[in-house]
Amino acid sequence: MTSSKTIVLRSSDGATFEVDEAVALHSLMIKHRIETGGADSTTIDVPEVTGNTLSKVIEYCKKHVEAPNSDDLKSFDTDFVKVDQAVLCHLAKASYYMNIKGLLDLSSKTIADMFKGKTVEQIRETFHIKNDFTPEEEEELRKENSWNLFV
Amino acid sequence: MSFKSILQDMKGDFGSISRKGFGLRSRSQRVVEDRSPAIVDALKQSCWANMPPELLRDVLMRIEASECAWPPRKNVVSCAGVCRNWREIMKDIVKNPEFSGKLTFPISLKQPGPRNSLIQCFIKRNRSNQTYHLYLSLNQATNDDGKFLLAAIKCRRATCTDYIISLNAEDVSKGSNTYIGKLRSNFLGTKFTVYDAQPPNGGALTTKCRSLRPGSMKRVSPRVPAGDYPVSNISYELNVLGSRGPRRMQCIMNAIPASAMDPEGVAPTQTEFLVSNVDSFPSIPFFRSKSARIDNSQSGSGLLTGQNDPMLVLKNKAPRWHEQLQCWCLNFNGRVTVASVKNFQLVASLENGEHENVIIQFGKVGKDVFTMDYQYPLSAFQAFAICLSSFDTKIACE
Repeated sequence: MTSSKTIVLRSSDGATFEVDEAVALHSLMIKHRIETGGADSTTIDVPEVTGNTLSKVIEYCKKHVEAPNSDDLKSFDTDFVKVDQAVLCHLAKASYYMNIKGLLDLSSKTIADMFKGKTVEQIRETFHIKNDFTPEEEEELRKENSWNLFV
Repeated sequence: MSFKSILQDMKGDFGSISRKGFGLRSRSQRVVEDRSPAIVDALKQSCWANMPPELLRDVLMRIEASECAWPPRKNVVSCAGVCRNWREIMKDIVKNPEFSGKLTFPISLKQPGPRNSLIQCFIKRNRSNQTYHLYLSLNQATNDDGKFLLAAIKCRRATCTDYIISLNAEDVSKGSNTYIGKLRSNFLGTKFTVYDAQPPNGGALTTKCRSLRPGSMKRVSPRVPAGDYPVSNISYELNVLGSRGPRRMQCIMNAIPASAMDPEGVAPTQTEFLVSNVDSFPSIPFFRSKSARIDNSQSGSGLLTGQNDPMLVLKNKAPRWHEQLQCWCLNFNGRVTVASVKNFQLVASLENGEHENVIIQFGKVGKDVFTMDYQYPLSAFQAFAICLSSFDTKIACE
């Protein structure tokens, strides 16, 4: 290891994680904080992310920083997002807030693939989204939906 | 992680509670179960409901970009039906057919096609129940694979014939809420008028409508009285050779100005289906007068375009007499394979002469199958209606 500098990341719920600086810099948000925070910043708060999610994010960053050319990177990524849809949601949000492009693309694409092939009702149910259309709008949507699904 | 930090997680951010499959030990799950179901539901919901707008947009953009063709394109429409937020984003992402060349939402059928390429469709006629179904071609090689677009049913009346056009393949009637418009022919089948169920400019009527207050148009539930707005007049005539030559066809597009054909020109584009209210007075006062019904069974003339902007006229491209084959020929680029008097190609007829560009072409490929290709400034609905007139016209041609 050329540099043994470590950074401590603190999640919203107070969990702390010590990581190599190189790994932490994979997040452009953290990179920016370090660059603007002065030489003394060794603990970085990540209030948008909980400990559980942050732990996974760090796992992703470690793999991509320490072994970026490894043959199993693709399969690592594929397996990495084989998680519960709620976890996936948190990963996507975390990657967005922490500005980690690779993870953002990966989780975003996985989520998009999960929406495909589902009806409106199935999407709402799976992702717990409230139907907030008025009864009038619902009527128009019914027409659209029938047309949409008619082969 | 220590048990203490797991507990800290539990008390933390909402979304973290809903991670069932996260591999927690059973002790922690007991902690979760102590919470009331209502709270757990609310916490579950917030995870996806509170997605940052840019992230949600990124996800929806990926879907729109990857599901270009039908049938997968239905996923784009499904996502737009989930909730208001998703709908707003998806409607913003999806470009009109004029720019994307793609049909997405039903309203795409009322919007002009692309400028430099034809959208390829086919029509299936069912003689037994007098219906016609329009499909978007999914496969260039066959006319069996299609996405349903519009349906029409022929209704013969005492002095005219109506073709009622609808979004619903099975219930095609004027009273149904999927009524889009109609084609009406005169007794002889030589003159036709195309009517749109809603104003061609998405609500902004001009001279005929009294007291339209633009300020009163609201997005949430715009209403119009159910009406028939004439958008096109089609006429068929024998040519100078009488019945021995191909007939002459002309379409006056009341709602499309000739200037739409200019490079920077604009054709009217509807943006949403308006909720029509036959019985009740509109709650948002769209028209001050109750009887602002526009039903012009005479050929509408220049009312829906500006006064100095003449209407677009389409004429059929004259076939050439092929001496060797002894027949009239048009080049359909392989899209029409059976000779028929119904086959036609329309081009824009402007002050500086006729355009070369075929705006719409229609022709027979099988016993009850016809191809229909159209482009800007016509919409699928207008093109379909024009083609239907070709089925009806009684001008015989040997």
